[in-house]
Amino acid sequence: MTVTVNGERHELTVPAWETLIECLRDRLGLLGVKKSCDVQVCGACTVLLDDQPVSACTTLAFEARGKHVRTVEGLARGEELHPVQEAFVEHGALQCGFCTPGMIMATVALLGEIPAPTPAEVKHYMRGNICRCTGYQRILDAILAAAGRLAPGGRPRDVG
Amino acid sequence: MLRPFELVEPASVAEASELLARHGDAARLYGGGTELLLAMKEGLVHYDYLVNVKTIAGLAGLRLGPDGTLRIGGATTHRAIERDSIVREHFPALARMEEDVANVRVRTMGTLAGNLCFAEPHADPGTLLEVFDATVRIQRAGSERTIPLEALFVGPFETCLEGDEILTEVVVPPPPPRSAAAYLKLGVLERPSVGVGVAVTLDDGRVAGARIAVGCVGPVPRRMREAEALLEGKALGESRAALAEAGRIAGRAADAVSDLHGSAEYKAHLVGVLLTRAFHQAVAGLDVRWKSR
Amino acid sequence: MSAERLAVVGRSVPRLDASDKVTGAARYVTDLALPGMVHARLWRSPVPHARLLGVDAARAAAMPGVLAVCTAAELPVARLHYGPAFKDQPILAHEVVRYAGEPVVAVVAESEARAEAALGLIDVRYQELPAATTAEAALAPDAPLIHPTLDRAGHFRDLSGLRPVPGTNVCQHYRYERGDLARAFAEADLVVEDAYRYPALSHHALEPHCALARVDADGVTVWAGTQHPFPVQKELAEVFGLPLSHVQVVVPLIGGAFGGKCYTKIEPLAAALSARVRQPVRLALSLEESARTISRHAVTVRLRTAVRRDGTLLGREADVVLDTGAYADIGPRVATKAGSRSPGPYRIPGIRIDARCVFTNNVPAGAYRGYGVPQVTWASESQMDAIAERLGLDPLDLRLRNLLERGEESVAGDTPMDGNMAEGLLAVARALDRGATGAPGRGRGLACAMKDGGGTHTVSTAIVRAHADGSVSLLAGTVEVGQGARTALAQIAAETLGVPFEAVVVGAPGTSLTPYDHGTSASRSTTLMGLAVQAAARDARAQLLGLAAGLLGTDPAGLDLREGRVGALTVAEVIRGHFGLVGGEVTGVGSFVPAQWSGSLGGATAFWETGMGAAEVEVDPETGTVRVRRYVSAADVGQAINPRECAAQDEGAAIMGLGPVLFEARAGECGQLLNPGLIDYRLPTFADLPDAFETILVENADGPGPFGAKGVGESGTFCAAPAIGNAIARATGVRFTELPMTPERVWRALRDARRGAPLP
Repeated sequence: MTVTVNGERHELTVPAWETLIECLRDRLGLLGVKKSCDVQVCGACTVLLDDQPVSACTTLAFEARGKHVRTVEGLARGEELHPVQEAFVEHGALQCGFCTPGMIMATVALLGEIPAPTPAEVKHYMRGNICRCTGYQRILDAILAAAGRLAPGGRPRDVG
Repeated sequence: MLRPFELVEPASVAEASELLARHGDAARLYGGGTELLLAMKEGLVHYDYLVNVKTIAGLAGLRLGPDGTLRIGGATTHRAIERDSIVREHFPALARMEEDVANVRVRTMGTLAGNLCFAEPHADPGTLLEVFDATVRIQRAGSERTIPLEALFVGPFETCLEGDEILTEVVVPPPPPRSAAAYLKLGVLERPSVGVGVAVTLDDGRVAGARIAVGCVGPVPRRMREAEALLEGKALGESRAALAEAGRIAGRAADAVSDLHGSAEYKAHLVGVLLTRAFHQAVAGLDVRWKSR
Repeated sequence: MSAERLAVVGRSVPRLDASDKVTGAARYVTDLALPGMVHARLWRSPVPHARLLGVDAARAAAMPGVLAVCTAAELPVARLHYGPAFKDQPILAHEVVRYAGEPVVAVVAESEARAEAALGLIDVRYQELPAATTAEAALAPDAPLIHPTLDRAGHFRDLSGLRPVPGTNVCQHYRYERGDLARAFAEADLVVEDAYRYPALSHHALEPHCALARVDADGVTVWAGTQHPFPVQKELAEVFGLPLSHVQVVVPLIGGAFGGKCYTKIEPLAAALSARVRQPVRLALSLEESARTISRHAVTVRLRTAVRRDGTLLGREADVVLDTGAYADIGPRVATKAGSRSPGPYRIPGIRIDARCVFTNNVPAGAYRGYGVPQVTWASESQMDAIAERLGLDPLDLRLRNLLERGEESVAGDTPMDGNMAEGLLAVARALDRGATGAPGRGRGLACAMKDGGGTHTVSTAIVRAHADGSVSLLAGTVEVGQGARTALAQIAAETLGVPFEAVVVGAPGTSLTPYDHGTSASRSTTLMGLAVQAAARDARAQLLGLAAGLLGTDPAGLDLREGRVGALTVAEVIRGHFGLVGGEVTGVGSFVPAQWSGSLGGATAFWETGMGAAEVEVDPETGTVRVRRYVSAADVGQAINPRECAAQDEGAAIMGLGPVLFEARAGECGQLLNPGLIDYRLPTFADLPDAFETILVENADGPGPFGAKGVGESGTFCAAPAIGNAIARATGVRFTELPMTPERVWRALRDARRGAPLP
């Protein structure tokens, strides 16, 4: 099958039963895609399939044929971080970092769909991405900052 | 790690049905895989053949007929439904329910039909669709039948489908004029614990129609016809006054089971609470002015 | 040094690992691979207690791609058992299985899939034995004896005071008594007696346990997701009968730990399998398997407290029972700490504490963020509000009256209270009051707690290497589990040495590279490893100033190293000037070694980690749903090395502490864990973030660590439960003694209260 991953075309032969996370990690060496709960609850393995968020752990690799897959490795341009990555760093939205790639990809998908989300919209969309370390407040701050709603140095009020 | 299987990709319903017939228990229809693949990963089930419903022509997408009937193809995802402007305008409660199913990744891949056919008791869509009197179109090579959605569910993880039958369309009739619906749920774990759907039709200050369905608590989602009868044909104020009793009746009729989500007693109680709240929410959606009696 | 003159300490510099973590470049244990690596999977006992009769693995061993199938008998080890308190836990089950989920057989194969498939071909014959699956059952006179004999580890000094009770399932009985308790109860105007329950929890770090082991002619090397590389190294050396110099434990980044990766876990098994097949072996558990490896203690706490009418606490009796599961792990120390913390942060003259750590046929319980303090604080701080209610006193006033003040001893001979707890408590109370909406149906509550921080008898050494080009390497064995320790230690090194923060690189911990460190736990690393880092940096600084003085022909006392320069000379010029163009390096070494050995805990407390919490909740009586609308947490950090990371740690701890308050708990029945994975074990999500949530850092520069720092990271877990429980009591009039306060429990209790039934 042909699949474009982070802008690069690949011709791969994969068995039907291979999952997308196995394909991305074991075949393509994209170790930023993390395996955690393996039951599509935690979101650590979130990647974008044609700009839509999917759980790589519970998606068969062949579902990516002819499509564009985007992982966290495909966000930065050389040394220049993507605005979402930058916002996560600036707002302290990561600690152990294991949920971070999936969290960032879900954020990219969210902002692609809702460029200026309210805090409630962020919480709803991101409900399926779990973090055991940060307590979520700074991730929320980072997402809103990345969306440009946050005034420099302030905290957002929950407006609904 | 999944055990090896072969993926087959039929182009038509007939071809898919024939494949299912040929391989029998060794084959299963595969849509988004959001529940099937989990069961396979756990080793609870295994199939040598997965039959891809998404390659069958004409099963993706939804359309609104001239009479207002909504037809949702068997390969349509939850996300497609929740975001569709037709659904959001004509069946807002359906869009609201869909946007709260599981998480955004499950909704991206998971199909509505797949959800119904997997028949996981702790699920949302079947409950609300029963309130809409939805029917499902079931096809196999050479024949088809349409049954009420309620008849699809036989037991936990069990439907009335034969091995070679495919659910190709979910058909939602247009609600009568002056109708509104609401779906409320409560989840103590990842999957929903109690779900109640209510649709109300008003006619000159009277409750011309009340439809109630309860899901998640018992083996299958069910319409609560005895409770409905208590609310129908009354002035709105009288129906409201009867909500508590309707809730008790529905709670008893729901056949709630005790599990990690909670006791049967609590679930039955929640059925009543959510029924009342969903009724109020539906009526509020109708922008009706009323005075309590 | 006053805070204003600090260059990098006290600033929220970006984390050193942030860039790697947001780009996916960060490498965790589960990302590592070695050439020729093979994979292990484990056959686990389906029953909680059984005698092993035989294992038939012939068909599994014959499968293509399978390299070995091992039971305990086939492991090439000198010693089968390990453990920090007792050597009670076998690497694979031996003769008896003691909990459902215990590994019995290991398969090594070319791929995980092969190994997994081979598991299905293994037949294990066993004879079930009666199981004790609650602490109560295990304490009953006729309970099955889970460990007829116990062999003490002798690892740690304070555990040399272990007091198991022979002939019972009690592996540790901590006792403490002082004052005249009988008189206290006789003189009391009020005696309150309650029992509280806190559930068993799963750590659920997002990265499960993983170890990659290579055993060859050079010895044993294990890349492990462990918080304790040096204790694990020692355990491995003993298991294999090797000198420490032949054993290496390396720790890259870890995807969360929270205590679940303390002490030895799966490392000896991975290494033994590698020794068996003579290839590197990767043993990676699933998230569910991690939950079957270690857990948090379920605890029941019975408190009987004597109070004077004006709210003065006179005496307290505490009976604390911890379910430590089938193997002790570090349970005995958790029991000791939980027991010793059951008086709370208060002045109480008469005390009697009994804390018992009890074996059961459940998954072993061990270290978990907070280390017993959340459990006893749930009891103690709930009871404080109950006392306030009975006496008609304000809960805040009651606490302020009894709070230990700075300089007061909690336990004779131990470190006195080193912080101003009232400041933090008033801060959270005021913050909550400020935002009060006065909306109906809401209630507010608060709580405070303290824990001895820094661990017990822990030793740390660090090395600072100033290189010929002016860059600096910091070698410290502290593990980066997410807490930001690498960054904080780099800040301390840079500040103390006098070089820019950007010049410092922190190496990954490895027992062959970084000098000895007890471990990353007990909120000790910034403070105690920080002191070692500071000492090492001072050493290097002194050397550099000496060299510079030699080059400049002056007295070093008149020189200053600042921003990488000594006057006109850069550090690189100093080093090269001294050693010549060949190169050279200045190496500073520093250690922290605890000074005293006294006090109830067996060692002087390094600092008191104190925390406060205040909550505003909204209760829906019809469904029993509780929403935490607002939560304020306070942590006394002394001096925040990196304020953002300190606050972030406290926030994370508070939300982690929130889980078991309303919904999170392990569910078990007859020794079976019903919810090992995330579908049926509910973790806090974005949906649980309170509408308003903030952390207040108290900084009085009164800690023993660098620049007056104290540790942080655990105190946020102490207060969520009682603060919310107290708020619910205010909102509804109903007080809970058991967690979690699920919607069903809340609904039931409110309904029963309306009907006049006894309260839960």
